[in-house]
Amino acid sequence: MTRPAPLPVAEGPYPPTEEMLNAPVPPEEQERGKAELRAAWKTPEGWRYFSAVNNTEVGVWYALTAFGFMLLAGLLALAMRVQLAFPGMTFLDADRFNQFFTMHGSAMMFLFAVPMFEAISILLLPAFLGARDMPFPRLSAYGYWCFLIGGCFVLGSLLFDAGPKAGWFMYPPLATEEEGVGPDIWLLGLSFIEVASIAAAVELIVGALKCRPPGMRVNIMPLYAWYVMVVGGMILFAFPPLIAGDFLFELQRSFDWPFFDPERGGDPILWQHLFWIFGHPEVYIVFLPSIAIAAMIVPTVARRPIVGYSWIVLSAVGTGFLSFGLWVHHMFTTGLPQMSLAFFSAASEAVVIPTGIQLFAFIATLMVGRVRMSLPMLWIAGALAIFVAGGLTGVMLAIVPFNWAAHDTYFVVAHLHYTLFGGMVFPVIAGVYYFYPFFAKKLLSERLGRWSFWLIFTGFNVTFLPMHLTGLMGMPRRVFTYPESSGWGTLNLVSTIGAFVVAAGFAVFVYDLLRPKSRQGQIPRNPWDAGTLEFSHDVPEEAWGVRSVPYITSRYPLWDQPKLVERMDAGRYYLPDAPDHQRETVVTSVIDAKPIYVQRVTGPAWITIWAAIFTGGAFIFPTFHIYKPAIVCGAFAIVCVLYWLWTSTARPPRDEMREAGLGLRLPTYTSGPDAVGWWGMWITMLGDATAFASIVFGFFFYWTARPDFLPAGTDHAIGTWVAAAALLGVLAWAATLLAREVNRRGNVMLARLALGLAPLSAAAAAATAWLAVRDLDPVSHVYPAILWALMVWLVVHLCAGIVMQCYCLAGSLFGKVTPRHDADLRNVTLYWHFMALKVLVTAALLGLVPGWLP
Amino acid sequence: MTEITENEDAHEFRSEAVSLWRITFAPLIWAVHFAACYGATALVCAKDGAVDGLRLGIGIGTGVALVAIVWLGWQAWQQWDLVRDRDWENDQGTGEDRHQFLGHAAFLLAVISFIGVSYVALPALLIGTCR
Repeated sequence: MTRPAPLPVAEGPYPPTEEMLNAPVPPEEQERGKAELRAAWKTPEGWRYFSAVNNTEVGVWYALTAFGFMLLAGLLALAMRVQLAFPGMTFLDADRFNQFFTMHGSAMMFLFAVPMFEAISILLLPAFLGARDMPFPRLSAYGYWCFLIGGCFVLGSLLFDAGPKAGWFMYPPLATEEEGVGPDIWLLGLSFIEVASIAAAVELIVGALKCRPPGMRVNIMPLYAWYVMVVGGMILFAFPPLIAGDFLFELQRSFDWPFFDPERGGDPILWQHLFWIFGHPEVYIVFLPSIAIAAMIVPTVARRPIVGYSWIVLSAVGTGFLSFGLWVHHMFTTGLPQMSLAFFSAASEAVVIPTGIQLFAFIATLMVGRVRMSLPMLWIAGALAIFVAGGLTGVMLAIVPFNWAAHDTYFVVAHLHYTLFGGMVFPVIAGVYYFYPFFAKKLLSERLGRWSFWLIFTGFNVTFLPMHLTGLMGMPRRVFTYPESSGWGTLNLVSTIGAFVVAAGFAVFVYDLLRPKSRQGQIPRNPWDAGTLEFSHDVPEEAWGVRSVPYITSRYPLWDQPKLVERMDAGRYYLPDAPDHQRETVVTSVIDAKPIYVQRVTGPAWITIWAAIFTGGAFIFPTFHIYKPAIVCGAFAIVCVLYWLWTSTARPPRDEMREAGLGLRLPTYTSGPDAVGWWGMWITMLGDATAFASIVFGFFFYWTARPDFLPAGTDHAIGTWVAAAALLGVLAWAATLLAREVNRRGNVMLARLALGLAPLSAAAAAATAWLAVRDLDPVSHVYPAILWALMVWLVVHLCAGIVMQCYCLAGSLFGKVTPRHDADLRNVTLYWHFMALKVLVTAALLGLVPGWLP
Repeated sequence: MTEITENEDAHEFRSEAVSLWRITFAPLIWAVHFAACYGATALVCAKDGAVDGLRLGIGIGTGVALVAIVWLGWQAWQQWDLVRDRDWENDQGTGEDRHQFLGHAAFLLAVISFIGVSYVALPALLIGTCR
C-alpha cells in the first residue's frame, strides 16, 4: 500500500507586480479568451431559457417574482383599507377579511421581504466581488423554483376561499383548532419556502467568504458583503426554530400529537417562543440587507469613501447578535415573570445603539462628502426619515408598561409599517434605481421616479401616521369592522385615502420598471461614478460576469485603481479564458482572499426544476392528508438531487492544474475546508443543529412550564433499545470516519468495507430508536409525543446519512471518490460528526434525562 | 516578485489567519450571558422562587462576563494599535491593515457587548420578585 501523492496546491507569483499588470495582452489572445468565455457562459435560448442557472438570470426572475407577490399582497391591503374606510362596511365579510390580513402579513414577510434579499444578493453579490457566478448556481435555481411553486400554492389558496385566517403568526389554539386546510397550507407551503431561504443563505455566505477576488481581504470587501454574511448567519439561526415549530405544529394538526394542547400537557406558549425566536431576528434579516444597499449608495452620492467602515461592520455584527435577544418583546402580555420581560426590554433598548450607529455613519459620510443628489439618494433620504420614526415608536414599545397599553392596537400596525417601509421598501426601491443600469443595461426615468417617490412617501405618511392615533384611541388590529360610535371613522378614512396614494405611486414605479426602453440607446458604463466593482460591468451585456477576475487592493477599486477596468477588459487578470469551454470561478481564502483553486461552476439544467417540482409535491400533498404520493415525490426529489450532484459536482478533473493567468497555476480540485462544498455542508449543518436544538428546547420548556411534565406513572422509552441506538449510531459515525482516514491513506478496500458497514449500522440505529418508543402513545400526552418527535427527527436524519454513505460507497466503486479526490467523503464525514452529536443527545433525552428530572 | 507559496503574512499576523470567529467572541459572551440569565430566571421562577439566590447568581455571572469582555476588548485594542500609528481606517489591502481592522472591529464589538451585558443585568438589580 503506497500513500497517494497529495493534491497539488497553487504555485506561481502572487501578488502580481505592477510590471506584470502592465504587460499588454496580444489582440488574438484577447479575442480567443472572449470567444471561449462566450461559449462557456452562453445563456440558453428559446424555451430552453428557463433551464438557465446563471445568477443574472435567476436573480432577475427571483426579484420579479418576489415583487409580483408583493404587489398581490399590496392589493389585499387595499381591499382591507376599503373595508375599513367607513364604520360598518360590508365590502369584505369577516371570514375573507381574516384570510386577507393573514395572507397580507405572511406574503409580505415570507414571499417578499426575505426572498427579495436573496434575489438581490444572488443578482448583485458576484458583481460586487468580481466573481463569475455564485459557487452553487444550481442551488440558487432550485431555491428559486421552490419559491415560485410554494408562493403560488400559498397565495393561490385565496382563490379557493381556503386561505389561513389565524394571523401571520398562527397562534395556537386558534390555528391548531381552525377547520379546513388553511393552517396546513401556511405551515407546509411556507416550510417549503423556508428551506429555499436556508439554501440561499448557505450559497450567499459561502459566496461572500470564498468567492472574493484575489487581494480583497476582509478589511476592504464591500460593506454589502459584510451584511450578507451577517444576515446569512442570522437566517441559519432564526429560520430553523420556525421549521422545528412547524414540524411540531403539523404533527399536531395531522396526527393529533398534543404539543400545544394544554389539556394533554402541551403549551401554546411554546409556539410563541419558537415563532418569535424566528420572528424578531427576521425583522433584522429584512432590514440589514436593505440598509446595506444604502451603504453602497451613500459613498457614491457623497463621492468619498464611507466614514467609519469598521463602525458599520460593528453595527451589522452587533445588531445580528442583539436581535436574538428581543423575541419576548412580542410576548409581553403572556404572563411571563417580570424579570424575564425586563431582560428582553433591556436588550431591545440596547439594539438601538448599533442600529443608530450605522445611520450616523451614513449622515457623517454625507456631511463630509461633496454630495451630488440623485434619485436613489432621494429614496434613501425618505427611508432614513421613515425608519427613524419607526425606530422611535419601537423604543416606546420596548417598554413593558407602554407595551401593555398599546398591545394589539393599530399603534403596533403603524410602528411595524414604519420600520418595514423605512427599513426595507424604500432602500430596496433606491437599490432598484441605483442598480438598474447594472442589471438591465438601461436607465429608469428621473421624472417618473420623482413622481413615484413623492406619491409613495406622502401616501405612506397619510396612511400610517394617523394609525398611531387610531391605536392610542383603542382600535384593535385585525377587526374587520367597527361601530360608528367608536369615533375611529375619520382617521380610518384618511388612512384609506393614503393607501390609494401609495398604490398610485407603485403603479408609476411598475410602469417605469416594465415599460420598453429600446429607444434609450446605450447607457454609460458607470452612470453614477460609483467606486465599487459592479460598475465595471460590460455594456452591452455579456453573460460571463467579469471578463477577467481582478486583483483588488482598495475598498473602492474603480476610484483608486485607475487602470483596473482597462486591464479587466483586456483579460490582463485571472481566468481570462475558458479553454475547455467550462464555467469556472476563482475560490480564495477566507481572510486574505489568496487564490486557492479554480472552481468548476455548474451550467444550465432542467434537473433543478424537476427537483423543485418533486420537492413541492412532497410538501404540498401532505396539506391535504395525502401521504403516499408525497412519499413518492420525496423519493423522486432525492433521486433528482443525487443525479445532479453525481453528474456535475466534485468530479476528479482531467487536468489537475490550470494556467490561471499572470503566471499563476491553480489546482482544479480540492477537498476539505478549502472547498466550497465543505463550507456549504458546514453551514447547512449549523442550521440543522439549530432546528434540533429548538426541539430539545421544547423538551425542557415543558419541564419548566408544566407541572405535569413528566406525568405521574408514565411509561418511558425502553432503555435497552435507547442504548443500542446510541451505540449503533456512534458506530456508524466511527465507520464513516474510518473510511475517510483509510481512504486518504490509499487503503481503498478497507474504506469500502467501512462504507458498507456504516449504513447497515445506521439503519439498525434507526430501527432500535423506533423500537425504543414504539409502545408509547404520542396522542395521549405531550411527554410521549416529544419523545416520538425526537425519534422521528433522528430517524429522518439517519436516513439522509445512509443515503450519503451509500453515495460515497458508489463513488468509490465507480471512480468518483479516490484516495486523492475525496471531497464527497470528507463532506459526508462532516455531516456524520453532527449526526453523532444528535444521536447522543437524543439518546440522553430518551433514556437518561427523564430519570434525572426532579 | 513573491511566490504564492511563501506565506509572509501568516507568521506575522497569525492570530486570525484561519478564522473570522475571533471578532464575535465578545458578542458571544453577551449571548451566553443573556441565555443564562433568561434560562435561570425561567427555571427559578417556575420551580422554587429563590429570587435572592438568582439575583446573586446573575450578579456573579455578570461580573465574570464583564471581566472577560474587558479582557477581550483590551487585546483587541492592542491589535488595533491606534496609539502607535493613528490609523482609524485601515483601508489598505495589506496584511497589517487587515490585522488592525479586525482588532478595531473586535474592540468596538467588545464595547457594545459590554453595554449589552450591563443592560441585561439591570433587571436583576432593580426587580426583586418573579411576579
